[in-house]
Amino acid sequence: MNTYYAANLLIYAGIDIIACLALNLQFGVSGIVNFSFIVFQAVGAYAAAVLSLPPDTANGGFQHYVGGFQLPFPIPWIGGAIAGGLLAIPVGFVVLRKLRSDYQAIALLVLSVIANTVITNADKFLGGAAGLALVPPPFSDRIDPNTESYQYLYVGITIVAVVIAFAVVNRVVNSPYGRSLRAMREREIAAAAIGKNPVNLKMTIFIVGGVIAGLSGAILVGFIQLWAPSVWLYPETIILFAAVIVGGRGNNIGAILGALLVPVGFEEVTRLLNSNPNIANLGPPNLISALQWVIIGLLILGFLWFRPQGVRPEPRRVFEGGAD
Amino acid sequence: MNLFVAAFGFGLVSMSVIAIAAVGFTMQFGITNMINLAYGEVMISSAYLAYYLNKAGISIWIGMVAGALFGSVFSFLLNRLVYAPFMRKGTANLGMVIVSLAVSLMISNLLLPIVGFYSVSYQEDPGSLIRLGSIALTRDQIIVIAIAVVLMLGIHALLTYSRLGKAMRATAANPTLARNCGIPTQRVIDSVWLITGALCGLAGVVAALNADSFAIANGSAFLITILAAAVLGGAGQPYGAMIGAVLIGLITELSAAAWSPEYKEVVAFGILVLVMVLRPQGLLAKRGALAAAG
Repeated sequence: MNTYYAANLLIYAGIDIIACLALNLQFGVSGIVNFSFIVFQAVGAYAAAVLSLPPDTANGGFQHYVGGFQLPFPIPWIGGAIAGGLLAIPVGFVVLRKLRSDYQAIALLVLSVIANTVITNADKFLGGAAGLALVPPPFSDRIDPNTESYQYLYVGITIVAVVIAFAVVNRVVNSPYGRSLRAMREREIAAAAIGKNPVNLKMTIFIVGGVIAGLSGAILVGFIQLWAPSVWLYPETIILFAAVIVGGRGNNIGAILGALLVPVGFEEVTRLLNSNPNIANLGPPNLISALQWVIIGLLILGFLWFRPQGVRPEPRRVFEGGAD
Repeated sequence: MNLFVAAFGFGLVSMSVIAIAAVGFTMQFGITNMINLAYGEVMISSAYLAYYLNKAGISIWIGMVAGALFGSVFSFLLNRLVYAPFMRKGTANLGMVIVSLAVSLMISNLLLPIVGFYSVSYQEDPGSLIRLGSIALTRDQIIVIAIAVVLMLGIHALLTYSRLGKAMRATAANPTLARNCGIPTQRVIDSVWLITGALCGLAGVVAALNADSFAIANGSAFLITILAAAVLGGAGQPYGAMIGAVLIGLITELSAAAWSPEYKEVVAFGILVLVMVLRPQGLLAKRGALAAAG
């Protein structure tokens, strides 16, 4: 287990934790089934990429994209977070205002598929199907990214981002505002009847979740240094849903646990299986990755059937001040 | 101008394909209250069944019947084994959407190792071109249109004149009341899944035939076009889905002629967004076949 492998694992874990915290805020706490969650992560990644990349005439002009501002860290990460939040405004405006909650879910699913199609086909906009490569990682002008100390640095800034994201969502969930969100999730009409505005609540959470998702995308693209439509297909959102359902809907610790069990765990297991040639060559090609998706589906069905509250259920909040 | 007239001809074929699929989808939703996101994957499964039959030398028209039977049984079992138990357990509508998406993911990934990534196409001679002014359609395309017309008339007859159709409408309007009036709602719902599953399987083969070549990834594209047509017409309304199919089929083909065929689904999505902003209940929300009278 060398430094690179450990750093890789920790950074992926950090990114998945941030994403699951954001999705838990939307889905677990507020009941918004955001099936286009991965699009918000993707927009953050693209924004961070074009903010840190040089103009597209650089590197022999082999890829085409808009922007290319070559800005130093932390501007790309902040930009990624803002992009996620900005995207949430028009999407929320269309989807969250009038539609029934199951319509909202399918509208967001369709959005996820279509956004991918559009970016794939618009090859001058964000690199098209080939995507963006050679994205400069943070501080790469000062530290060589291929050193061990850089790996530690990246792990460090990822952990800072995880702590910030956790502090924000925890603050929201445990505040009176979080109580309004849970009320809306449990019974929207009742929440509206006591003066909560469900559309405002949903819009706010959609934007907050979008910001956090955008940040997770920015961290990811800074680390893997490339981004393409094939890494944000809609099933990626389902993995995160599986994580939140397994971990425990509405419980932030559960979301972290789910992130470690599902996306990180599955990634590692498939990698281990594929590294064993006896298993990797078994059956038709892509058998293992296909079976991985089947198991994710089974995991969702299994948990929804046997333990819908997840490994770490949402704490029952009891009002204790009534005695005096 | 001729380009657009020709595109209108393709629009006729497209709308036929979409109509068969969208009517099945919307009836599932209208009567059983289930947004079945695995619909596109069931379509693809049937298309592949017909492909293997076709490869073994069996005519595509027999493959179509086999696809319809397969889709019918598959959808029935899907409801009996997965959806119905979850619904009985009291899973909310939102939970059911997640369940059906998980099922859709599982079907496509169980299929993937069997059929592979690559596009395949049927070995079928599309027949001679038949011209009508600038519209030129193959014999097969005209057969597809004819199948769609016959099926739509059949659905209309079923819902309007048959006892089963009336029972379906009653179940859609108010399941509890229907049961109290002596309608065996369980049997009605079973037959809905059998009938709509047949439409779904048949639509899969027809769509694959019309698309020249198809791959496993087409399932989600099918689903989007169907959702657009169903929501445009008012989800749960068979006649709405027919109108939605006509509009979506025409508009996507005309835009493909005017702009680029890559963006067909994007145009369908644009229509979906417009409907959701301007008239989320769809065109025929108030007085469709499945709504209560009056």
